[in-house]
Amino acid sequence: MKRLTAEVLHVQPMGAEMACLALRLPEGAEMAQPGQFVHIAVPEDRAHLLRRPISIYSVQGDVLMLGIARKGEGTKRILQVKPGESLDLIYPLGKGFVKGASRRVAFVGGGIGVAPLRYAMEKYADADCKAVFGYRSKDLIYAVSACEKTGAEVVVCTDDGSAGVHGLVTGPLEDWLKGGQVDLIMACGPTPMLRAVQALALRYQVEAQLSLEEHMGCGVGACLTCNCKVKRKDGEFGYKRVCADGPVLDAKEVVFL
Amino acid sequence: MKMSVNLCGVELKNPVIAASGTFGFGREYDAFYDVASLGGISVKGLTRLPRLGNPPHRITETPSGMLNSVGLQNPGVEAFIQEDLPWLLEKGAVVIANAAGSTQDDYCYMAERLSKTDIHILEMNISCPNVKEGGVAFGTRPESVYNITAAVRAVCKKPLMVKLSPNVADIAEVAKAAQEGGADAISLINTLTGMAVDIRTRRPVLANVVGGLSGPAVRPVALRMCWQAANAVSIPVVGMGGIESGADAIAFLMVGCTAVQVGTANLYNPCACPDVIRGMEEYCAQYGVEDIRDLIGSLILN
Repeated sequence: MKRLTAEVLHVQPMGAEMACLALRLPEGAEMAQPGQFVHIAVPEDRAHLLRRPISIYSVQGDVLMLGIARKGEGTKRILQVKPGESLDLIYPLGKGFVKGASRRVAFVGGGIGVAPLRYAMEKYADADCKAVFGYRSKDLIYAVSACEKTGAEVVVCTDDGSAGVHGLVTGPLEDWLKGGQVDLIMACGPTPMLRAVQALALRYQVEAQLSLEEHMGCGVGACLTCNCKVKRKDGEFGYKRVCADGPVLDAKEVVFL
Repeated sequence: MKMSVNLCGVELKNPVIAASGTFGFGREYDAFYDVASLGGISVKGLTRLPRLGNPPHRITETPSGMLNSVGLQNPGVEAFIQEDLPWLLEKGAVVIANAAGSTQDDYCYMAERLSKTDIHILEMNISCPNVKEGGVAFGTRPESVYNITAAVRAVCKKPLMVKLSPNVADIAEVAKAAQEGGADAISLINTLTGMAVDIRTRRPVLANVVGGLSGPAVRPVALRMCWQAANAVSIPVVGMGGIESGADAIAFLMVGCTAVQVGTANLYNPCACPDVIRGMEEYCAQYGVEDIRDLIGSLILN
């Protein structure tokens, strides 16, 4: 975890809603584990004080690529940076996906949540793995061809049927789980998707790692503002810090509110 | 130049204290700089028993500020004494234990318990806006501020600093009540009560509905209240509210604060506290101030 000044290389659109922001880091680009994140200060904006937690899309040498949604005022401002300008970031943060001894990983992503899975697949995926990515419609699709290069099968789902499977990611995921083709699930996406993935993982007794999102403050574990509800080992409820204990947590402990 | 100040008998290396609730117990920020280089560390608000805090969302950004409703999540005073205090003392930090309670008995229990440790100052938090019982309930009326301060004073063997709420009609009266109750210092301001609404869902953004507003947005209010409080009492005043630079901190000293706390800025700038110290040193060098204490209460009125 370091505070760095990174040089902006380029910003490229990825589908209609996302952009890939490429940064050159002065050191340690390769330190990031899949699922870890970057906390970026919104440049030259005194109204938007808080940093934005952003997913790592890919790491190539000393170049860090981030997947950012053009969603709010802060992220739009970040994406207005020009090549040669710099950004203030803290990197890398949090606890990410861990493959361990598992061989057959299913990567399950929805919308913005596909971005960190692209980096997870870059590190972990091979022909034994599968991925299913959900998008609202065809024009929002990104990351698919890059992920296919890992040798894994990638299934695309759209909510409106404009591309791929017409339906939710849980359809193909459940088929794989029924067929006993998955040892581990790595998932990132909207809360309803994660809740459904959690339910499937518990039903089919397959380990699942869920990457959560929450409104965040410091990003380093001090302010306790990004906490999510968990079931502790003693059976009682508690809170974990999404920034420091997560963002990737075991599906068995996460309690969706 | 001399940067040290004396806060109710405790020598601080410099007037910059990390504010409670934004700095944990110091460990996270020690990855960025030596936290013992600060004037002091006011630790995460402690309660008699562990507290889970409020459900999420606990934070939302507002223009030049933020709302939070963490709700005093903390591991409890005993866990702090066993697990965090030894680390802070070993590092050589000046430790300000921030304590909150639901009842007068809670406050007195914690004052007694913490008096048996090597903390340097007890900061009695009677201004937390985010818990249902206690907290700010003790801090909004001068009589109740006097009563709780006097009760804790009777059992507290450490310097006692009372952290005041800005959500009051007359801050000077509240400050005087704390002094009359036996406080050795006061600190202010805690957060201003605020609210945000998500118009897409028609729901409050924070699960707790309301939260505490902090950050540069509140700084003029904080500065005004510190000035009024400092004029009303003879005990030291520790100022806070949106401080993020040396220039901000200097202004708080000028209106009468002996030291300052830096809070929200830690969240967006992990090096906020050292940056404030450096900025104060630069001001002193530029204006030929040899002793930072010469700035305290040096405001020239129009």
